[in-house]
Amino acid sequence: MLNGFLGILYREFSVYRKKAGKQILASSISPLLYLIAFGYGFGRNVDVGGIPYITFLVPGLIAMSSLNQSFSIAQELNITRFYFHIFDIYLTAPVPPVQIVMGEAVYGMFKGFLSAGIIFILAYIFGVNLIISPLFFPAIIIHTLIFTTLGITVAMLVRDHGDQATVNNFIITPMIFLCGTFFPVDRLPAIMKTIVYILPLTYSSKVIRATLTGGDVDYRYLMIMSGFAIVFFITALMAVKRVEG
Amino acid sequence: MEILTANRLIKQYGKKTAVNDVSFTINAGDFIGLLGPNGAGKTTTIKMLTGLVKGDSGSIFYNGIDFKSQPIECKRLIGIVPQHSNVDKDLTAYENLYMQAIFYSIPTNQRKNKIDEILDFAGLIEYRDKQVKTFSGGMKRRLTLIRALLHQPKILYLDEPTVGLDPQIRRSMWELILRINQQKLTSILLTTHYIEEAERLCGKVMIINNGKIIIEGSPEQLKGGIGHFVLEEFVDDAIKEDFFETKEDALTHIKDCVNSCKIREASLEDVFIKLTGKRINA
Repeated sequence: MLNGFLGILYREFSVYRKKAGKQILASSISPLLYLIAFGYGFGRNVDVGGIPYITFLVPGLIAMSSLNQSFSIAQELNITRFYFHIFDIYLTAPVPPVQIVMGEAVYGMFKGFLSAGIIFILAYIFGVNLIISPLFFPAIIIHTLIFTTLGITVAMLVRDHGDQATVNNFIITPMIFLCGTFFPVDRLPAIMKTIVYILPLTYSSKVIRATLTGGDVDYRYLMIMSGFAIVFFITALMAVKRVEG
Repeated sequence: MEILTANRLIKQYGKKTAVNDVSFTINAGDFIGLLGPNGAGKTTTIKMLTGLVKGDSGSIFYNGIDFKSQPIECKRLIGIVPQHSNVDKDLTAYENLYMQAIFYSIPTNQRKNKIDEILDFAGLIEYRDKQVKTFSGGMKRRLTLIRALLHQPKILYLDEPTVGLDPQIRRSMWELILRINQQKLTSILLTTHYIEEAERLCGKVMIINNGKIIIEGSPEQLKGGIGHFVLEEFVDDAIKEDFFETKEDALTHIKDCVNSCKIREASLEDVFIKLTGKRINA
């Protein structure tokens, strides 16, 4: 009954298993550099809202890195679709589109969790004190679901690899820098603040930070994140149906 | 028994009509060739039949089941070997087939045996646990072929299955394809622009040009329609061709040749030239 979902998971994890070492190493490099450069270099002796900057930064890095890894499913799907045509196997198999989305989403979320885990380890090594609330777990699940389903949607809508790079440059990179990962969004000018509150990472980084620094979680933000996840799951499903003949 | 009924399929890309009112049926055990030059509409037809391309109009039925309303049921009956091998190079041969076994709901306790059996059938059992990236082109094609067979489809689509292979490997692929048709009783629709491939393998050939099937029949019938023997007369830089039903008729006329002449058997290429004025492999 879940043959499509299980088949995609089998494929993705079989491939991942063979490349895990390289991928884990690659996904550790940029958070490590951010921690050293911003946490220790630039942020030493700086407080944000009464907490050390490095403690403020780590939840932002978790949000950023898990976003990057979950969204990177777009790039992988792009390659399987346009270069190796492996995606055609899914489309011609007796598999409903919803199971394709579910399988790829779970794989993308797994990559997001793994990158979050790497930052926890780095934070521990750097001596950063985090207070992990149970709400962190639903928050990271919803957060990675948002960006992996956005990744699936984008991968189905782009026409080639170049389009994919454009999306990364104009949407993902600005979002990573402006949506509360490195500094509080409240410090942005009013117009910028309005723009960043349209973007899902703003809510994710606020909720994830609150669940890791002993802050109060704004449940409205969790609801908004859930809304983004539902919308992007639907767009991913529609996009897969669109490429199916 | 009709396995496939395709009715009035049409597909347009902008102003170009890639598939133009194509209709045909395939019965159990048939081996049918769709022969035509590059760009004739062969691959688009296959993509429409397998759900990779949405047609503009027309209907497709597998075993009487409407492909549009029940795609999942229909896809269970289909096996596909695409023009470009899409086996996963990062996986082993076994893993590629195991993924297929999951997709087609082959019971867990039967998967290993079925995979080993089919790897053996294609002569790939000793490469079972090797990553596909280490395979030669011919091995990848054979793996793609048996992957399409693992769930015992009623109909197998082979889209240019030997394109890019050297002649020796092409012949070994032909033997494997014929064994599939004869031993596994699978109906086959094969697209090709290789004349010899269509003549050697197919019981019936449909010749397609500019998206339209222009003639169909057994290779013998099609050649019989123009004459089984060709008398070629070399006039300056051109070749003048006359067709005859028997070799004796051709021999009678060879006496009238002023220039250098030769008699040869007619091929499906001659049928195509006669109908379109062009060569298939121009």
